Amino acid sequence: MPVVHEFSIAEALATQVLAHAPAGARVRGVEIRIGALRGLEPDALKMCWDAVTFGTPMAGAELEVDLRPWSITCSSCGREWTSSVPFVSCACGNATPAPLGGDELDLVAITVDDGEA
Amino acid sequence: MNEQARTVRMPMVGRVLEANDDVAAMTRGDLARRGVFAIDLIGAPGSGKTALLEATLQRLKGRRRPAVLVGDLATRRDADRLARWCDRVVQISTGEGCHLEAGQVRVALDQTNLEGVDLLFIENVGNLICPVGFDLGQTAKVGMFSLTEGDDKAAKHPYLVAAADLLLLNKIDLAPHLSFDRAGFEADVHLLNPTVRVLELSAVSGQGLDEWIAWIDRGISAVQGETPE
Repeated sequence: MPVVHEFSIAEALATQVLAHAPAGARVRGVEIRIGALRGLEPDALKMCWDAVTFGTPMAGAELEVDLRPWSITCSSCGREWTSSVPFVSCACGNATPAPLGGDELDLVAITVDDGEA
Repeated sequence: MNEQARTVRMPMVGRVLEANDDVAAMTRGDLARRGVFAIDLIGAPGSGKTALLEATLQRLKGRRRPAVLVGDLATRRDADRLARWCDRVVQISTGEGCHLEAGQVRVALDQTNLEGVDLLFIENVGNLICPVGFDLGQTAKVGMFSLTEGDDKAAKHPYLVAAADLLLLNKIDLAPHLSFDRAGFEADVHLLNPTVRVLELSAVSGQGLDEWIAWIDRGISAVQGETPE
């Protein structure tokens, strides 16, 4: 089921990239940023990306994922740090620091071969 | 391939789901103009989404004019169950799709007579992960958990908890038979979303349904610009 989830995101991404790439340009790379809340697996997303772009001008384009971590704030000692998982204990002994995750899912950049040069 | 070809990095600023979000924004505008309070109901398979809607439609009969969109992978069973209580039920078959998208909702709404409708339920596909990130144009996102799923489900599904305007904890009538840690569940919820309300209810016994109906009534009043009683 999670892979199905990544598949629909990859399809939406391919549509966005195709809409923004110059006509006829070969897409070499795509950079996206994903907030921790989204719960997306970069490896699964890359696999789906390769599948949905097969046979398109985006085929072979490398998908670079900037997966943003959770921001953790300890209400007891005030320490702030980042974590790949939301529920973590603080070194001060507090077992329930508050996790804050972003829900961004942004296209950051695409890299294309400028064939007109 | 031109040997002179240069590789150019083009910075973009845009959402990956822009196309979905644009359609959702149109739907949200249309529903607001019509004075429709629209609920996107998200919960696991078997959490009791359809049972809750049956009980809700039964209680609203004659008092509200609801319409229901039902997302389901393969069958019409949910739609048939709800059609006994509501004459505006539209089935959205998602096939392999694990969630509803804004375009599917828009097409379904085009097939729905919205004349006089003040309440729209969108029963999403049974899934706690995929549906959360897809805006449908709803007024409120309601997340549904149930006691039989276990008390760790809020912690395991942070996006739904963080994005929800209201959380329902269904099958509360089974509490005496289960070891569900309600305090622990609520603590996880409020770490992720400090302001969201958790409403304990049972679609079967009716416990908590008055509060659920009152929440819906306040939502309709807010959308229609009425002063709540």
